[in-house]
Amino acid sequence: MKKTILLLSALALVTTASAQKLVIKGSDTLGAKLVPTLAEEYKAKHPGVSFEIAAEGSTTGLAAIIDGTAQIGMSSRRAKTTEVSAAQAKGVTMKPIIVCYDGMAVCLNDKSPVKGLTKRQVEQIFTGDITDWSAVGGPAGKISIYTRNTSSGTYSDWKDLAMKKRDYAGSSQKMAGNEQIAAEVAKNPNGIGYLGLAYINAEGIKIVPIDGVLPNKETVLSKKYPYARPTFYYTNSEPTGEAAKFIDFSLSDEGQKIVEKVGFITLR
Amino acid sequence: MKSRFTTKCLAIIAGLCLSTGALLAQDSGPLIDLLVKKGVVTDQEAEDLRVELQKDFAVNSSAGKLNLSSSLVEFKLSGDLRMRYEANSQTPELVTGGAAVSNETSRQRYRFRFNGDMILQKGWTAGFALETAQASDSGNQTFTGGADDYGIFLTRAYVGWQPNLNWSFVLGKQKNPFYTTDMRWDGDINPQGAFQGYKAFIGSKDTFEVRAMQHVMFDNNEQLVGPAGRDAWMFENQAVYTHWFAPDNLSSAIFALGYTAYGQSTMTGLLNSAAFSGVTRAQNYGTLSGELNFANLYGPGTAVKLYWDGSYNFTGDTRAYRVYNLNRSLFDAGEGAWLAGVGYSYGTGKVQGDYSAKLDYREVGLTSIDPNANDSDWGFGKTNQKGLKLALSYNITDFANFNVTYFDTKVLQEKMTYSLGNLNRSSELLVDLVVKF
Repeated sequence: MKKTILLLSALALVTTASAQKLVIKGSDTLGAKLVPTLAEEYKAKHPGVSFEIAAEGSTTGLAAIIDGTAQIGMSSRRAKTTEVSAAQAKGVTMKPIIVCYDGMAVCLNDKSPVKGLTKRQVEQIFTGDITDWSAVGGPAGKISIYTRNTSSGTYSDWKDLAMKKRDYAGSSQKMAGNEQIAAEVAKNPNGIGYLGLAYINAEGIKIVPIDGVLPNKETVLSKKYPYARPTFYYTNSEPTGEAAKFIDFSLSDEGQKIVEKVGFITLR
Repeated sequence: MKSRFTTKCLAIIAGLCLSTGALLAQDSGPLIDLLVKKGVVTDQEAEDLRVELQKDFAVNSSAGKLNLSSSLVEFKLSGDLRMRYEANSQTPELVTGGAAVSNETSRQRYRFRFNGDMILQKGWTAGFALETAQASDSGNQTFTGGADDYGIFLTRAYVGWQPNLNWSFVLGKQKNPFYTTDMRWDGDINPQGAFQGYKAFIGSKDTFEVRAMQHVMFDNNEQLVGPAGRDAWMFENQAVYTHWFAPDNLSSAIFALGYTAYGQSTMTGLLNSAAFSGVTRAQNYGTLSGELNFANLYGPGTAVKLYWDGSYNFTGDTRAYRVYNLNRSLFDAGEGAWLAGVGYSYGTGKVQGDYSAKLDYREVGLTSIDPNANDSDWGFGKTNQKGLKLALSYNITDFANFNVTYFDTKVLQEKMTYSLGNLNRSSELLVDLVVKF
């Protein structure tokens, strides 16, 4: 009898311990820096909670919610209809929660005399309709386009936001991340690329206004800047338990301070 | 006041969005963005709204249950069903002086076609077509005994690439990309091989096109020695000029000059009507075809068309006496073929009440065309014939046509001994109901 009680107690302890573990999967945009930082702060306040964070892309985060293998899915894009439908079939209700905003700035080499671009010109440049800087008021020179690689959610988001869903120019060069894009544009006077706001202070580049608007907190929140997107946590229905607490923390003033510190745009 | 009115309007639109989610889900993104921008809903409320609309779309609409590749720009499904009554008669050429025999047939047939054509990103295309009946020159299936079921065959499977407006390439079994009439190429035959096309734009609307295709005509066993061990290829080339009489005028002229030749090989066991089996030698055809279209000649929507086709086998002599083994002193090689026709139409054949009539006369010499590609109805696909084709069509609805076609042919060179040219007389009546979808 004693043995049984002991075993049950041990089992109860293990169950309690596993309930304190939060599994978060998905977007590398969120999962590379922001969510681990939020998790560290949260753990400091809640020592009994542990985290398993896997940043392998938004698609994996949404799939994890559908499959029930994570409590929170990180995503830098909205769930597709097919994903919502797949979730529905499994009795899962996708619930998006905006964590913060991510602006995408257009960067040129700091020696470029081009002072600004229009949305139409950006579309024409990235799709290859315009191939020379002289067509947008710059000196003659073949435009070199730097983009994220095709597996990145940002790569497809840029197509949606800036290119009317058209294809990238065949000559565009795919880079692994924001730092690589900034470095290449800094080296190439004819270069152009896009960067998350956390990377706009890199040396050798400058950010140009789009239709006269520069990306910053005010223009992103007021929707004046065209290339901004919300980033999401996804849960199955309304979040509960530890997941709800962690999400509340992320959205709180304290959490949003971390958001700002990491380089994203806060909700307020 | 104005702002309150705007807010009210937007709130109503949002309500509509929610109540007819399945209908609007695909188009509501910009509307929701506008609602957010106007401050009617918050970003978070907008996201919840988007998910609700997606769920409605997925559950309550047929389109929401489809999961198509993101590389697809367009996926078009189409096809048609044709119910046909056919009556024909053929009298063989009598070489031995025996009693005249007239073979008459009356039958009920149908043809089903189902096409899937995909436009992919970066100028790529792909597609397939399914069809009743296996012969390359006919998708017709005769209704036979016992309420039997019938087979379906793959009649097209192709991949295309158009890197720009000028160039186009297609690989596989595809629609005939050449300008021609059914004197030389049966509309039912989908050629197989590699196609290359270049189109130059001249002036406001004119075009000049160069087309080339390497047709796979027969796959042989390479272990055999000589021509029998080589695959049969046909090389077809054509230059087509299309001239418009004025930019805002629908009248036009088309001139097409071509050359087609076979490699040295053999073919056996083809299924099409009056198929040639044997060596492909001495088939070098020069072709000249075209049309003149006069639009709105007898009122808006009317059109008169004059059309022609011609073919000459530069090596017809060799084909007749070396391949067909005819007696040179008795038979002419029949290297030439020509067709001249006139058509009158009202409308484009796509709207209820549209109609058209076409009449042509043609003479087809024994070696003048490829007997494996010509129309299987006119003279039953045989050469050494002269005769006419009359085609009438009326649109019962936008999607259904009633067609009547009549063919009548006579022999060109009498007492012909070669089997592909030994038809003394033939006639055929086709009465069709075609429903397209």
